[in-house]
Amino acid sequence: MIAQIELTGVNKHYGNYHALKDIDLSIEKGSFTALVGPSGCGKSTLLRSLAGLESISTGTLKIAGDVMNKVPPRKRDVAMVFQSYALYPHMTVEENLTYSLRVRGMPKTEARKAAAEVARTTGLSHLLDRYPRELSGGQRQRVAMSRAIIRHPKAFLFDEPLSNLDAALRVHMRKEIRALHDRLGATSVYVTHDQIEAMTMADRVVVMRAGIIEQQGRPLDLYDKPANKFVAGFIGSPAMNFIPAQGGQDGRSVVLDLGQPQSVDVGYPVQPGRELTVGLRPEHITLAPPDKAMLKVPVAVVESTGAATYLTTATTPELAVVINGRGGTAAGETVGLDFEPAQLHLFDVKTERRI
Amino acid sequence: MSERTHNRVMLALAILLAGIYLFPLYWMYITALKSGSEMFATPPSFWPAAPRWNTFAEVWQSRQMGRFLWNSLVIAIGATTLIAVLGVGCAYVLARYRNVWVDIGLFLVLMLQVLPASLMVTPIFVGFSQLGVLDYPRLAVVVAIAAKSMPFFVILVRATFMAVPQELEEAALVDGNSRIGAFVNIVLPLARNGILVSAILIFMQAFGEFVYSKSMIQGIELQPASVGLNSFMGPNTNEWNNIMAFATIYVTPILAVFVLLQRRIVSGLTSGALK
Ligand SMILES: Nc1ncnc2c1ncn2[C@@H]1O[C@H](COP(=O)(O)OP(=O)(O)OP(=O)(O)O)[C@@H](O)[C@H]1O
Ligand SMILES: [Mg+2]
Repeated sequence: MIAQIELTGVNKHYGNYHALKDIDLSIEKGSFTALVGPSGCGKSTLLRSLAGLESISTGTLKIAGDVMNKVPPRKRDVAMVFQSYALYPHMTVEENLTYSLRVRGMPKTEARKAAAEVARTTGLSHLLDRYPRELSGGQRQRVAMSRAIIRHPKAFLFDEPLSNLDAALRVHMRKEIRALHDRLGATSVYVTHDQIEAMTMADRVVVMRAGIIEQQGRPLDLYDKPANKFVAGFIGSPAMNFIPAQGGQDGRSVVLDLGQPQSVDVGYPVQPGRELTVGLRPEHITLAPPDKAMLKVPVAVVESTGAATYLTTATTPELAVVINGRGGTAAGETVGLDFEPAQLHLFDVKTERRI
Repeated sequence: MSERTHNRVMLALAILLAGIYLFPLYWMYITALKSGSEMFATPPSFWPAAPRWNTFAEVWQSRQMGRFLWNSLVIAIGATTLIAVLGVGCAYVLARYRNVWVDIGLFLVLMLQVLPASLMVTPIFVGFSQLGVLDYPRLAVVVAIAAKSMPFFVILVRATFMAVPQELEEAALVDGNSRIGAFVNIVLPLARNGILVSAILIFMQAFGEFVYSKSMIQGIELQPASVGLNSFMGPNTNEWNNIMAFATIYVTPILAVFVLLQRRIVSGLTSGALK
């Protein structure tokens, strides 16, 4: 693996505020990496540090093998797409696209040729003479993308580029950006707070919280084996159910506390009496006849989108359940719920780490 | 009251108020056109019976107005240029860097704006005479006006710079420009209107400046029109038509510029709507 971007022990302080804490991150050449996390966790700070718009306090930052700690943005050869698009309002689309080339001293005719070419691939050819204010949100987004791809930078940095678009366009652009990435063979770092975007687009997902990388890995590895309770709750939609539990006396089961105790044999050793939090994804629960099911619970809310039905149980804690199709239950009824013990995620109550 | 009558009443009120405000201006123009006897008639006439256009040419000649206006122009252009060159950089820094020192700086800048020119003129006079700047009296006035009006300019232009999103600059940096390049290519063009309008306001202020010019410029051949107009009026003055002609020639160009540019000025002061 060739690392295109490499961070070792990176810290960032804003005055007293510690925004990035000991970040170690290696981004493979040609990969698509998504940075996800809740608002304020430091995603943008990390991305802006890569671009050189923020200087890191300690640690090393390498791009394509060169240490970049003190290198100004213009010499890092990265391209960035901003959430607000940051199109230059006093320049036409064409001038926006060619700006980075003209700054580098490319002759105007050559730059215009490059702009025409990029515009053709992104469907902007008929808009080259317009000003940004004369474009729709989606078109502006395309201009911002095109402006990034017109030169061939060492890395693309995206800061929530889709968050200003409506839902349908967002889904469409997800695919388009990924296709563009593959076609250009680029290295991309993509910041989002939408875990679905991260899961669907990225080769690697980096989950951050409060300036710390909680876990990084392939999307499905994060889904299957979340390293801690935070990642487990963050990845997946609707979010994972968490149930307080204890290690069973037989040393190979857990006792779930859903109002009344419910013992589940997990098939591997669990320290008897150990305090646990058990995670179970809504989509891993199935309906079963009440008399034969593992759990027998009353239903509080039923919501159906047609394709799927979302149940919320009247237990403490509540359980969310997703079933395909209509489900055929109503609020107030008692249903039986089943799940595979192997689908349970066990976390230590104190450290919240996976067991 | 219906919407329509309401609007009419408001309009009538607006016209009345405008009339009161503009009456002195109107009086200046018609007095300049009146003859000697008509000026002192009771009751006064509101329209000159036989307008005397010659007064303007006579006053221009006899009071050497060309020289006065030239001096006013030199001082105004000098002060505006100095303020624009120094003030734009200053405003930009105050717009982009936020910390305690910037806040203190802004506070001091505002404080300066509070001090009246007539209070500042004595220390400035003493200082300048020690430094020998008073040997170049118009330069001395330019520097004094710049010192006085800079805060006003800086605060207006700072607001303009703050309306330019920082992300645009950052985009330019990542696109390969230097900080200065980004400032010149991106920020300046977007702030141009605001800067221009502020500079015009400063220019008009400096064109009419009186206190510093009066106290620092002794030689009549270097005095601006404001001082010239003042020395025209003595305790026993009775050539009101000539004085008003002087005033007319002095203020009409400024008025014309203001009327021509008023749309731009108003939109410049409320600019920031980039999207
Ligand atoms: N210039 C700054 N000065 C001080 N603190 C800052 C500065 N920029 C960011 N921070 C703080 O650093 C933390 C991380 O900010 P950052 O913008 O990276 O969050 P984010 O993960 O991108 O969040 P969001 O999803 O809301 O964009 C926040 O708590 C923020 O308040
Ligand atoms: Mg952010």
